[in-house]
Amino acid sequence: MLIDAKHAFTQLSEDALIARVKSGDQNAYAALYELHVKRVYGLCLRLLADREHAEDATQEVFVQLWHKIASFEGQSQFSTWLHSVTSNIAISYLRKHKNWLQKVVSLEQSGMDEQSALDCQGLNGLDKLVLRLPERARMVFVLHAIEGYRHEEIATMLEMAVGSSKSQFHRARQLLKEWYENE
Amino acid sequence: MSKPDFDTFLAESINNTDSDITPQKDLWPGIEKALAQVPKPQTKSVTWPKLAGVAACSVVALLSVQLLFSGSEPATSVVMSDYFTQQKQTLLVQYQNQPALTDNWQQQLTELENAEEAIKQALNNEPENPALLKMLAQVYQQQLDLINKVHAPKWQQI
Repeated sequence: MLIDAKHAFTQLSEDALIARVKSGDQNAYAALYELHVKRVYGLCLRLLADREHAEDATQEVFVQLWHKIASFEGQSQFSTWLHSVTSNIAISYLRKHKNWLQKVVSLEQSGMDEQSALDCQGLNGLDKLVLRLPERARMVFVLHAIEGYRHEEIATMLEMAVGSSKSQFHRARQLLKEWYENE
Repeated sequence: MSKPDFDTFLAESINNTDSDITPQKDLWPGIEKALAQVPKPQTKSVTWPKLAGVAACSVVALLSVQLLFSGSEPATSVVMSDYFTQQKQTLLVQYQNQPALTDNWQQQLTELENAEEAIKQALNNEPENPALLKMLAQVYQQQLDLINKVHAPKWQQI
């Protein structure tokens, strides 16, 4: 069915696809999914640093997007809006899936271990280092340096002070530099 | 050839970053299945927030017990453990012939017991750490609340 949808909608512009999705056309949605899944997954993986979690979160993004897309009014680019939706869902996902002890003592999850990051296919050198960063430093770095959010926006998204966002970014940068220079 | 300095590496990597990464498995079937289901109203679990509230109130009392015993020989955590183990066993015996209202309460209890073990291990290194003692008290209280809650008569749930 996905193949059919791809054939049927290859020629349609993204705007036309979105219009069809808004009217409830699931084939158009499959085509829209094909257009954006790699980018959404990339962002989820960078934020969550865990392949399985990134896959789950990506699915959650596309399930929620089906219901949210009616609220997309075209005032920004669809990809920009989708990135914002994805970032928020990935952050919520991380909060929901912290275990009891991590919630009680606000434990920060460490990043991916070095070998797992090296084993990840399709990642560039920076990505492989970013996945090793501790949770908060990683999220701030991805949102600020890669996604282009301002620290004020990140502070709201991650429920932290603006100063904390800046210091986590500095921490991330220092760790990345240290790892890069010792490679 | 020497590698570029970090700032150059960072700037070039960010500028040239291909945002696309291909997932290892096909995610569409799961999404399609989820979309096919009739949307249900969000049914948020109200059990845990309530339990947390009850537990939070009880912690004050529990800490009082802790302070009461803090001058005695056995470690505070040991005193607490003895006290709550007795309470827990009493409840389990009391409810043993009564059906539980949920199927997964034993799984929830196991999770709490795992948390209890983790805290106890941490307490081995710092026996009088007040934050750990508070957490232990909380987790004990949550176990008691859970047992009570799932065995309470339905009219009490209204």
